[in-house]
Amino acid sequence: MIEKYSFFFSEVQKETPRELMLLSIISQGFVQPFSLEDNLLVLLTALTSGSGVGFNRAMLFLKDGDTLRGEMWLGPRSAEEAQNVWEVLSTPGIGYVEVIEYNRSLISKSRDALSRRIRNLRYSLSGEPLFIPALPARDKDILLVKDAKNEPLVDPRFLEIIDMDDFVCIPLLARNEVLGEIILDNAFTKAPIAPQDIKLAVICGLIAGNYVYSASLHKKLVEAEKMAALGEMAVFVTHQIRNPLVTIGGFTEQLLQPDLDEEKRNRDLRIIRDETKRLEEIVYQIAHFLKVRLKEPVAFDARPVLESVIESPEIKAKVKSRGVRLNVRIAKCPPQVLCDPTYVGEVFRNILENAIEATPENGKITVLAYAKGKKVFVVSVKDAGGGISEADKTKLFTPFFTTKEKGMGLGLPFVKRVMDACGGKIEVESREGKGTRFRLLFQCQERRSPQ
Amino acid sequence: MKKILLVEDEQPLCLLYEEELSAEGYEVTSVHDADSALDAIKNKTFDLIITDIRMPGKNGVELIAQIMGLRKDIPIIINTAYQSYKEDFMTWAADAYVVKSSSLAELKAKVRELVKP
Repeated sequence: MIEKYSFFFSEVQKETPRELMLLSIISQGFVQPFSLEDNLLVLLTALTSGSGVGFNRAMLFLKDGDTLRGEMWLGPRSAEEAQNVWEVLSTPGIGYVEVIEYNRSLISKSRDALSRRIRNLRYSLSGEPLFIPALPARDKDILLVKDAKNEPLVDPRFLEIIDMDDFVCIPLLARNEVLGEIILDNAFTKAPIAPQDIKLAVICGLIAGNYVYSASLHKKLVEAEKMAALGEMAVFVTHQIRNPLVTIGGFTEQLLQPDLDEEKRNRDLRIIRDETKRLEEIVYQIAHFLKVRLKEPVAFDARPVLESVIESPEIKAKVKSRGVRLNVRIAKCPPQVLCDPTYVGEVFRNILENAIEATPENGKITVLAYAKGKKVFVVSVKDAGGGISEADKTKLFTPFFTTKEKGMGLGLPFVKRVMDACGGKIEVESREGKGTRFRLLFQCQERRSPQ
Repeated sequence: MKKILLVEDEQPLCLLYEEELSAEGYEVTSVHDADSALDAIKNKTFDLIITDIRMPGKNGVELIAQIMGLRKDIPIIINTAYQSYKEDFMTWAADAYVVKSSSLAELKAKVRELVKP
């Protein structure tokens, strides 16, 4: 017999020990694809919710180079509000989205009072002498401060903001490096900070430290990928632009030679004109790709859009010049698709043009548009071309990848961007020598039945 | 007359190179992809090969590797829009590397250096 368990508990049971409940909230939060800030919010909430660890307020510092700077401060403004937070958190079936939304509102409410002030705090970690809160971060020490007003090691500016006698400082560590610091106090209940609470907060700090570390690695990786993509783009654009430039320059040199006959002169000029047009097209395509700004999806009838593309003079001319056959079947009363209507025509045109270019003379292209269940509308374009190799299939949606002699490799990346933005999908099925089928899967809004 | 095989997928560029190199006293045959180049080498004798790198199908580096298996004695010039491939040791099998430019002076000089017309 096999029993299956979920990573996520839909309900928090009353008898669950609070330590386990707290850790489950934090670790479940970190599994979600939330931003670093949102996840840290989950952590701070867990530390400050009345029945959680039991602290009233949590302050977060992050290390930035050699500096420790204030990032956010979360905490209810009163003991009563503290109780409310935990009630929200312990509502059966509550999701993290709600928790985060709740905290965001709390942060924005308290921004003036708390977060803005803490954001002005910056401490060098290399200077001497160091005061609290920089000291525990540098020395990787967990410090419980009592009677702070009479403690010369506490920075007076910090003390003025926090306005508390007792607080605990917990450095955030990962791989033995300090990444930040959490400071916790009991501003409203004035309860003494118990060793048990510190221990639990330290565990939370360790989890958070590792999370901050992996988030920083992820950020670096994304940056590196962006740079690599930019480099690839530069190399590709250089190639695409240099060829027509060399041709234009070379034939211009010929035109400058004396005794050039009329026929050759005209031919050179035609080549120069064509290559200039090509350069313009390259520049247009890059600019167009870069300037696409997708709007929120709206519901609309895709049928007229698809029909207008099929009936457009450009497509008709391409079909004729390539000598291919178009077989089109579009559902009569399709559901409304959810997408940015500005770009749907262009998305379909891209797919259709690729199919026309791939299909040999007398080959057939089949366009089908139909509803699949109530939630999906499919636009399928099947060509009779040579198919796409497995290696090329993985690169289809990478900008500037192209198998066409004069293509820019921006068509399919554009299509994918539009489909992703409206919650749709693009699927490719291809067998070498057998042709390719692209399927655009749009999310739909169900038609309301007439009353 | 010395014979040059030009491998270049850009047709207007082929035309330009053909005319300019013919004016220098060479006989130029152009093909637009690597497979056609290999066919040409099997069927005809050439004194020099000029090849692009980025082409549909096999690229210029793959072409050079295959030419080495057929004929090791024909000098090869790589003529490409990419400066960056010059650092790639795979391109070192060629005898010269010329980045495409609207002035054909460097290309012509390399051709003359490797094969007197």
